[in-house]
Amino acid sequence: MTQLDDMRRAIREADPQLSRFDPLRRIICFDDFDRGMCGWTQLVGNYEITLDQMLPGYAQHTHAQLSTLPNWDFGSHGGVDGSYALKLATRAKRGARNVTLKRLTFRKAGPIRMECYFTFKPEATELQLMETDVRSFGFLYDLQVGDQHGAGGQRVMPHLRFLNAEDGKHLQKWQFKRKTTDIVPIGTVGKTISHYHLAPTDWEDLPGGEQRLCYNEIPTKINWHYLRFDFDLATMKATSFQVNDRSFDLSTFDSIRIPAMKNLWCMLNLCFFAETDTDKRAFAYLDSVCLSGDF
Amino acid sequence: MLPENLTAIVARNETWTGLAATEPYEAGWAREAIVFVRALKAPKGPLPTARIEISADGMHWVAEGSEFALPAKENAVTFQRVAHFGAFLRVAAALPEGAEITVLVSLHLKA
Repeated sequence: MTQLDDMRRAIREADPQLSRFDPLRRIICFDDFDRGMCGWTQLVGNYEITLDQMLPGYAQHTHAQLSTLPNWDFGSHGGVDGSYALKLATRAKRGARNVTLKRLTFRKAGPIRMECYFTFKPEATELQLMETDVRSFGFLYDLQVGDQHGAGGQRVMPHLRFLNAEDGKHLQKWQFKRKTTDIVPIGTVGKTISHYHLAPTDWEDLPGGEQRLCYNEIPTKINWHYLRFDFDLATMKATSFQVNDRSFDLSTFDSIRIPAMKNLWCMLNLCFFAETDTDKRAFAYLDSVCLSGDF
Repeated sequence: MLPENLTAIVARNETWTGLAATEPYEAGWAREAIVFVRALKAPKGPLPTARIEISADGMHWVAEGSEFALPAKENAVTFQRVAHFGAFLRVAAALPEGAEITVLVSLHLKA
């Protein structure tokens, strides 16, 4: 630790907004949704000429919302800090999924750290606990090497999800994914392709990844969870993963890896997603997201 | 800081028949909205008016009172201004048998 590191840490720890994060040297973005959407938008699928060509997994996506977490029984829950959080809602159909993302590029292929506070709940359409209605909450990066990388460059997509429940079973475990679907052409011009990396297939259990999160006792009460994921853009490998008081072993973790694409150089996209296991909307909330890097 | 201003696509290439509505959109921060509806394909059959609906919780909906025409031709656009709508907003329509419209619905919200 240098004197500058000590000073940086002291300044951040004295800042009530940043003190609950542990960012690397530079903060790439710090998105507190009391300042608006902060660049989080909906993931739209690729298309050419007509929207009918969009893969159905993407066609279902809608726009994230600035939410006070309002509930029918006790009103607005509010965020961790301030009134607003980012809300991601699926449609009310079993297996439905929604994704919100932020699209960046990186300036140095080195370590990056994503930290957030998240929570999830189903839409409270019943006076039941409904703890198995949300299938999952998860996140992913969509990354690609720089244009000077040379042969063998990859597009790399680390995925992690908390599989809360599936087919009504309360599973509560973290999973990762190394496979996407086949890449298919979109349209006939020959410039556009697509694949569905969030397909429900090919999720693998993270060893030791079982975790019982605080869910609370009725369907409208939420508690926020801390999440941290470290990734090295130089080696394109995950280095650390923590949720609340638990750190997880990433020795078997790997990402979806496909050959680099011709127009995605230095891409740094961060996505969050939610999935529902029943015909109820699943809601995932974020407040806030802090992305930092060692550069 | 400039007030929040958001364009949210709440229905994209969705084909409406029968009772149809956009997904609930929470925007309690916004003082005003304009809803645009564009027909992405030539509509079929007699088109009803669309209505704005509001909700306290995103689950129980009531008509806000505003009604507007749905676009009658491919790429035609209609819109409705709304203000003072509380937290949740959606666009709904009841299409008679044989009627069909494929829509792009956007909300333009301002604090």
